[in-house]
Amino acid sequence: MEYVSPEGLRLDGRRPKELRQLKAQLDVLSTADGSALFEMGNTKVLAAVFGPKPTELRSQEDEKRAIIRCEYAMAAFSTGERRRRGKSDRRATEITKAIRNTLEQTIMTELLPRSQIDIYVQVLQADGGTRCACINAAFLALAVAAVPMRDVVAACAAGYLDSTALLDLNYMEDAGGGPDVVVAVHPNHSNRVVLLQQDNRVAVETFEEVMELAVAGCRAVADFMRGRLLEHTRALAAARAAGEDGGGGGGAAMEGDSGEELEDDEY
Amino acid sequence: MAETLCTPGERLALAAEYDAGSGTCVRDSFICATLVGVKRVLPAGEGKAVQRPRVEVVRSGVEPVVPRVGDVVTARVVRINPRLAAVDILCVGPKPVRQRYSGVIRVQDVRATEIDKVQIQASFRPGDVVRAEVLSLGDARSYHLTTAKNHLGVVHARSVAGVPMVPVSWQEMQCPQTKAVENRKVAKLDA
Repeated sequence: MEYVSPEGLRLDGRRPKELRQLKAQLDVLSTADGSALFEMGNTKVLAAVFGPKPTELRSQEDEKRAIIRCEYAMAAFSTGERRRRGKSDRRATEITKAIRNTLEQTIMTELLPRSQIDIYVQVLQADGGTRCACINAAFLALAVAAVPMRDVVAACAAGYLDSTALLDLNYMEDAGGGPDVVVAVHPNHSNRVVLLQQDNRVAVETFEEVMELAVAGCRAVADFMRGRLLEHTRALAAARAAGEDGGGGGGAAMEGDSGEELEDDEY
Repeated sequence: MAETLCTPGERLALAAEYDAGSGTCVRDSFICATLVGVKRVLPAGEGKAVQRPRVEVVRSGVEPVVPRVGDVVTARVVRINPRLAAVDILCVGPKPVRQRYSGVIRVQDVRATEIDKVQIQASFRPGDVVRAEVLSLGDARSYHLTTAKNHLGVVHARSVAGVPMVPVSWQEMQCPQTKAVENRKVAKLDA
């Protein structure tokens, strides 16, 4: 199978060093302390954060730092073939550990002794790179929940197929049997690598090229997430300012509505 | 723009020139943000030994309201027994709390004088709205509150007939409809 066409385009029409389209919605669930919906192309992940809160089990309590609990689940409808999988399958366990490990290095757990943070990530749609999307979604949800963190953490995968280094593999490319390198970095701390996973063997020279590409991808993802967080914060501030100006509650809302209608008429 | 927004990990200032406030951490001689929020620089404190301005990151959005020792809170009595009155804290100062905090007013904290003669059932009834001061963070379940000051005590209570009562003395309230007098530890407002 040809993964990179002679014109230099991939199966989904991307260039080799191109990311998929990124989308993020913040604060999507009202019940969670922080939540985010993160999309990388057709991969779609929902993350919810509960806490920091007192530890539920006394035996797990840590005097010096917060404990982090993580749960990864794939929806039955997330893949092409409908399949029910439990939370306890080996792949899910591995990804859960990878996510938790990454976030434990990012969250300043020592500032929150004797507390616990629960992170739930749910894959709604899977098209390769789910663990990267999960880490990114979880970071956004944690930022919304105002959990203190050392740095932005961004994850991205890269692979090597048809003698070309490819960024952000989709499912078809992932199944191509080539090496798949997953990296998560702290971009403000001279790209400190907090997660590195690899499938299949690869030559050292190739690995360096692929790794560099993945780190560059992480930086791009981090920039995107930072932009979204700032945008979200500004929108919140604007909403709050509008609320304070209105004062009268119902009356102010009415005025706002009529103003919007007028604008609609004009266009 | 006067106020700058920042994200976790962003460098804010040199650690040698500034003090790290809340929402920041020191890393490799830099002060870095740990939250998404607005960067603020507070001028150097006069009385402190270190004469450096403090940089902090304030989270945008509503700051959580948490009762602290010494705060005057408004609470509703939910249940009484001879030893204490259990309350739900509604407001800290003028700010409503977002989640439920439970507190207790123990019998020895109801009033300042003759504390051996205090009877809880002659001081509070379930449903009363009480103004109280936070004595301590209490045990794992509830805050310890006190009403042992003139301006603390019951501020709103309904009579058996269900009518809001009028205070007639510091330990009595009267129902305007049935004229029945009930015992309460009444707060002296506007004192």
